[in-house]
Amino acid sequence: MDLPSALQKLSTFRARSTRASQETFDKGLVVLKGNGLKKLGDESWSFLEQLALAAIDVGRLDIADRCLQLLTDKFPGSPRVDCLNGVRKEVTESPDAALAYYNHLLDADPVNVAFWKRKVSVLRRMGRIDEAVSELVELLDTYYTDVEGWLELADIYSSCRQYTSSLQSLAHVLLLAPQNPFHVLRFAETAYTAGDVSLAMKSFLNVIDMADADEDAPLEQVPSGFTVRAWFGIKQCARRLQRERLVSPSQTPVPDHLQLLDELATERLKTVYAGRDKSDKEATEVLEWLARG
Amino acid sequence: MSSNAVSLYLDPQIRDWVLFPITLVMILVGILRHYVVILLQSPPKKLPRAAIREQRALVRSQILRATSTNSPISESFYKSISRNLSQAFEAGTYLKDGPPKADAPSTPPNPLSDPNAMDGMMAGMKTQMVMMVPQMVIMGWINFFFQGFVLIKLPFPLTLGFKSMLQRGIETPDMDVRWVSSLSWYFLNFFGLNGLYRLILGGDNAADSTRDMTTPFAAGVPQAPGQAQDYNKLLKAEKDNLELAEGLYSWVGKDVEQRVLRRYGKLHSSL
Repeated sequence: MDLPSALQKLSTFRARSTRASQETFDKGLVVLKGNGLKKLGDESWSFLEQLALAAIDVGRLDIADRCLQLLTDKFPGSPRVDCLNGVRKEVTESPDAALAYYNHLLDADPVNVAFWKRKVSVLRRMGRIDEAVSELVELLDTYYTDVEGWLELADIYSSCRQYTSSLQSLAHVLLLAPQNPFHVLRFAETAYTAGDVSLAMKSFLNVIDMADADEDAPLEQVPSGFTVRAWFGIKQCARRLQRERLVSPSQTPVPDHLQLLDELATERLKTVYAGRDKSDKEATEVLEWLARG
Repeated sequence: MSSNAVSLYLDPQIRDWVLFPITLVMILVGILRHYVVILLQSPPKKLPRAAIREQRALVRSQILRATSTNSPISESFYKSISRNLSQAFEAGTYLKDGPPKADAPSTPPNPLSDPNAMDGMMAGMKTQMVMMVPQMVIMGWINFFFQGFVLIKLPFPLTLGFKSMLQRGIETPDMDVRWVSSLSWYFLNFFGLNGLYRLILGGDNAADSTRDMTTPFAAGVPQAPGQAQDYNKLLKAEKDNLELAEGLYSWVGKDVEQRVLRRYGKLHSSL
């Protein structure tokens, strides 16, 4: 692997904050050994941060320490480096020590989001969910626009089976990032789990509406990726709404044309699975499931 | 102009001992000032959590309102968030000093009484002093030693209108406008050196002295106007906006099933 391509790849990872730790680590080592730091110039520092995190992720603490040393020498007292040091501490030291470290940092600088988030994550890892939630709620009350925080809160709530609360957090996520269909899909699935089937159905439809808004002939496309998931959701919701009388806690009206939607979802899912081999067990199971209702 | 026949000859010593020194001194003073300002700058003060919360309270309702005509969230969620915000704005939950007392005077806070604002203003004054004092000294120096000097001849002809600009300090009606006097050279440098500073010190330098002539106090205190704001009033006003947005509210999922069915040809537009 040559240096320029590694640098190129790493910078796209940085821009998209991709967490492909092993790949980042391998490429980062090439850069580090190939003396690429000088080539990077001012960017070398964010590269070192990226490499340190990746190295911690894959358990190569020696490399992480080297990066951290370079960063500490360059930026003594920088909160960003402090935060990295904290992540490094989380690996080897007890969660209590890491927590104490973050508490200490937060005492000095109570408004630093990075420390605050790390503290929440340590609390969650220690199983002190109630404290994690209350810290996170306070964080989000101060920094409302933090999408990551809201997603984490929704995740914590659903891990505790508080699906309604989780749904509320996701509603804020939707407000903050209305253009992201993945969040809508998550909202839909959480709504279904919370028992709000008509809201879930509407949201699944929203996902489809968003996903193929820029396709000219959606009928000829085979659904892929998350749209398949959304079609499954539509199928399941339509089936349940036709059979049972369900009450929607959010007073969402049942969508019109349930019959047609059911047919459409079945059709779309068939285009995904019909072309597969007979021996494909997954496909036969899905087709059976579709045929059942 | 027939007087062109009578040309001036400038002593090269004027070039070496007046023109170059003035330019050099001004450049050096600009660079020096850049570093002095960096030394004087105190790091921005950390706001406490409550203050940040207060500053950002408005953003919540702005985000909610931004998408209200095509909102990504369904009606019950929208209404609950909207009502919640309205109530909080009304009750002053987001104010950093807590809900206002009923008998408190409704005047906006005096910026001079707030120690934080005071600090910011002092910083502004300090940089201002660093800017103004050297300029005054240089101007005095030029006025004292080189008053009435003709320093340079511009290589291009100019109309008479430029006479007051280029020959300040020399009261002659007949001299060619291309001759530049010492005081005018100072002003030309004063306004014209910014490009050079940008080359030497980078774009965000503090050497340019013309900048703070246009906006006094603005140099060191970007957040000063924000601190004098009366958030209570702002939030109360935002409440009306919220009500307005609620009237315009419509869920993006309201007739999504028809849109999807139509796209896939299950439902014809006439239906």
